[in-house]
Formats: sequence, structure tokens, C-alpha cells
Amino acid sequence: MQTLRMNESLLPSLLEVLKGFGTLIAPVERSPGVFSLEAIADVSRVRPDALRTILPFKKLLLKPGFVMLEQRAGGAPVESRDNDWGPLVYFGAHSCDIHALKILDLLYLSDYVDPYYKRNRDNLTVVGYGCMPDDKCFCKSVGTATVDENFDLFLTPLQGRFMVTVASARGDDIVRTAAHLFEPATRRDVQDFLDRVRERDDAFTLTLDVADLPYVLELKTDDPVWEELGKKCLCCGSCSMVCPTCACFNVRDEIPEEGTVRRVRTWDACLYREYAQVAGGHNFRDTRADRVRNRYYHKQEAFVREFGMPSCVGCGRCIENCPTGINVVEVFQTVRGEL
Amino acid sequence: MSVTLPEPLSPRGAPRKLATGANPYLPAPARIMRVQDLTSDIRLYDLRFVDSVLADSFAFRPGQFVELSVVGVGEGPFSLPSSPTRRGMFQLGVRRVGTLTNYLFDHVIEGDTVGIRGPLGNGFPVELFEGQDVLLVAGGLGMVPLRGLLQYLIDQRDRFGRVMLLYGTRSPEQVLFREELESLSRRGDAEILLSVDQTQGRPWAGRVGVVTELLDLVTFDVARTHAIACGPPVFYKFMLEKLVARGFGRHRIFLSLERRMECGVGKCGHCAVGYTFTCLHGPVFSYWDAINLPELIYT
Repeated sequence: MQTLRMNESLLPSLLEVLKGFGTLIAPVERSPGVFSLEAIADVSRVRPDALRTILPFKKLLLKPGFVMLEQRAGGAPVESRDNDWGPLVYFGAHSCDIHALKILDLLYLSDYVDPYYKRNRDNLTVVGYGCMPDDKCFCKSVGTATVDENFDLFLTPLQGRFMVTVASARGDDIVRTAAHLFEPATRRDVQDFLDRVRERDDAFTLTLDVADLPYVLELKTDDPVWEELGKKCLCCGSCSMVCPTCACFNVRDEIPEEGTVRRVRTWDACLYREYAQVAGGHNFRDTRADRVRNRYYHKQEAFVREFGMPSCVGCGRCIENCPTGINVVEVFQTVRGEL
Repeated sequence: MSVTLPEPLSPRGAPRKLATGANPYLPAPARIMRVQDLTSDIRLYDLRFVDSVLADSFAFRPGQFVELSVVGVGEGPFSLPSSPTRRGMFQLGVRRVGTLTNYLFDHVIEGDTVGIRGPLGNGFPVELFEGQDVLLVAGGLGMVPLRGLLQYLIDQRDRFGRVMLLYGTRSPEQVLFREELESLSRRGDAEILLSVDQTQGRPWAGRVGVVTELLDLVTFDVARTHAIACGPPVFYKFMLEKLVARGFGRHRIFLSLERRMECGVGKCGHCAVGYTFTCLHGPVFSYWDAINLPELIYT
């Protein structure tokens, strides 16, 4: 880890430098207050202050739909490169987004490594950007409010300049390529950085009590709260689509033209009715209550038991996007009997 | 005959590869050598990988499964009714139940090539059974994976104690591998009891009634016996507790579960139950492990 400073006015220059390291992906403002991650040609469009993009970065690592395999008539199936981006630079990642990458890594790079994910992940440069929470952020509760690994550079905005953290050899490559942009951080920079950490820590208003939550959930599997939630949840899957760690997928075969067959992989959500249905028609989670309960248990119970941490990073996207106003924090408060 | 098995799988560990290739989603071509009708809607397929090195080296644990693909139609999980003691080929038991299996029945014939990924899942803990008695209980199509285990036990008969099979189906024509089972029984290699729910007017020398009643007809030493159960959810509901009532500890009962195993390698999420991926940590669980997972049996 190395700490530098960069003048605020040099950000466009840094973005131009980053373009040399791969396709630059950063938040842009699509309509007032609505941000999305897009490939950047004109760096003046970049809005690093965007708190929350509609879709998280997973949409680049694993596209919403891509061809896994192709087969020509009479041939054997061959691997497709449809999902491959080549070198990618993700600018504007917040701490929660970087923790989400780690969770996706746990899933996709363990055991049978997912080659489609791995190729994009190996080609990925992550440049983080410091944020301030709003009333939907609860990353502090789930331990993802700060980050010290899994990124290359991290820019924390201070008055008129950035504190720049270099956390990898690739980050070091970038700094050396554009050495004129950076200076050593001063004691004043460090003190201002620490003051900002304190200020941000105090800015959180939403809290999720995760103490013993897996155990609480195990004791509450038959609680009527799940039936009630099942009546409110439309099982539309919006929360899964916008979740930075939801990564379930479906596979289907397509025949785009005579003699060619494609096996296509698309995002899926455990809230969809057919999700746990097997051949012959039996559905292991037939009701909305079954499915919505399963989603919350997966995030805060199952994943904790398997990997020692929840697969929720507290980004607030599901709260922002639920059409019936389901709030994950309130759900767990209700489960605990506190609401 | 003796066989060296691959190491048991450990959940969520270091990167590893499937026998069928480094890309776990890419099927390896396998040729259909023989097709036999077991019943009106269940067929037994003999397969051999086109790549002869893979064909001769392909090893699996009884109770593991594979994903079978017809690219352009679909892919699905199938259990292996053959034993790894018989190298060079493997078998799949297929019931006509959906798009893929309809296509297999209607369009795929001997000599055709399909795609196979595997072996997948954990398989039965056969090392535990060495020198001990083994009680297999099967309901309906549950006989398919248990037939692979049965072959494995019989092919190495001197490594195990008593081998018992209790097997129930709806009617006499639903009994899978009937001649083979009768032959094993005659030779004294295994103690086999069959039952059907109804004879439906067919000749039938076995019992008539539900398969759980067969348990009352055998005696066993539960201290040296493992029970392996495979069948539909309703079968588990009654059979597992009856085994417990007969004195089996829940850790000495193993079962194999059906779920929607799509990717087969613990990624796509469809087969997840609680914190287990049925395809990766299962499909074989001890009853004790199963009973502590939500939705696992009683749905």
C-alpha cells in the first residue's frame, strides 16, 4: 500500500491515462439523479460522485445474456468469447462494490472455475472512489464500509484534491505511467483523510443488526413474517437484478440460423416461479413466501455458513428499486420481532 | 475386481477440473453404443466418450451424476446406473419427462453423439461400507442410481458383508432391471425383496403393498449396517423415519436428492437448498445432514 495525492483538476487527465489500460467503464448520469455504468469515450461525462448506479459492475463481468457455446452442424460444441471484454478499467467503484467483487470471486473462482467470469476478472483494473452514505446505505453494518484490498487505485475526495491509495502492482503501473499527476501525500492530507473517515462514519443513518443473524434466521424459518412478506413481494426479481452479488443464471439453447446452435446464459433470480422447478413439474419453492424467504436466507444465513460472511454488501440498491417498498433492514427487524 | 476411485470431493476448495474438460460448461462428445427399453417410458443408454483417452480413464463414484446435452435442445442431469468397476463405458437411465428426454426418445439412436459433462456431485461414501452390511432401499426411479451402487458392491463382493435391496414400484412392469435382480438373488450375491403397489393383473411373485412394509421382513444388525435410500419425496417421507424406528442412527442413513441441477458445478444457484448446493455438496447426504436443511425433504 502506498499513499499519494492528486490535484482535483487533474482527474480528466487521469481518466485519459486509464483509457490506455483498457475499456474505461464509469458512472454517467442518464437522467437527473439516475446513473449507469457505461463505456467512456468522452471523459467529461464521467460522474464519480454518483452514489449508486442502477446496475452494479457484475453486468460487465457476466453480461445479462451471452453465448457460452456454439456448435456448427456436424461439429462439436466450442467455447464462445461473446462475454469477453478484453482489458477493462472500472472507475468509480465504492467500497461496497469492491466487496461485492470479492463475493463474486468466492463463488466463481473457487472449485470449478468459471472461465467466462475469470477472463474478464483477470483483465480488470479497479479504481475506487470515496463516497458519502445516503439513507439507503448500510454497508457499515455489514462490514463493507471500508476496503483495503481487491482494488488497484482508490481516490478519496478531499478539499481540492484526492488522497490516492495504491494497492496493487497494476495500480503502481498506472501511477508510474502518469507520474506527473501525483505527489507524495502530506501530513495534512493524511489528517484530512482521517477526518473524512470519521465524518463519513458518523453520516450513516440506516443500521442492520447482523449479530447472530444466521442463528436467528435458523430459529425463524416457520415465522409468519415470511407469509406476510410473500403477500407483499411481487417476485419481480428487481432486487436480484440490481444486487451486486446476485449471480444466478439460466441456460437455454437457441438456433439463430440453420446449421448453427448457441447455448446462451442469462441472468436469473431465485424469486422467479420456475427457479426451483424440476423436469416433470415439481416445484420445490412453489409459493412467493417460499421464494422470498429463500432469498433472504441465502444472503444472511446460507452464505455466512458457507463463506463466513453475508452476501449482502449494504449498497441499498434493492431498497431503492423494490416496486412495493420492501426494505431489507425492516425485514430483518420484523424477523427479530423489533417492528 | 478392484478399482481405484477418485478422491471424495471437498466443498468449496481450490480450483479443480472436471474429467470432461477445463471449461466445466463445455460438454465432451460421447457416442451412444446401445439403447434398451427398461419400461415404456424409461430407457437405459450405454455411452462411450469419443475421445478414447477420456473413455478409458473416465472414473466416477457410485451416486455421482452427469449432465447430458443435445446442443440446440437442452441439457439435464442424469444419474449413473452403471459402476465405475466397469471401465470404458457408462450408462444413463432416462425417463421420458420433458423436452430433452422427449428428444432423446424420439430422435437419438445408437451411433449418435451427445454431450456429457462430469462426473458431478459427491457420490455415496462407499469407503464407510467396507467390511459392513449394506441395505439399499429404492422407490421407483430411485433404483437407477442404486443399481450403479449395487453393481459396485457386487463387483467387489468380498469387500462387503450382507448386501440387501428392498425395492418398490407401482406395478410389475415398472420394475427396473428385474431379470438382473432375480439372477443376483438366485446366485445369493444379494438379498433382494421386491414389492409393487398393485399387480394390475400381471403375474407377480413378490409382495404387494408399499415398499416401507418390506422393512418388516428383514432383520439386520444396525451397528454394522448402513442404509442407502433413493426415491421420490413421498418415499423419503415414510422410509427415512421407518429406518430410524428400526434402530438406524440418522448418520448411518444416506439418501440422494433430486433438485434442478443446471450448471452442476455450484454456480447457477438453482439446486441450492439452505447453504448446500445439491449438485456440489450432494446429491448424497446423510439423513442427519438432510434433516437440518430447510426444504430438503419435506416440501
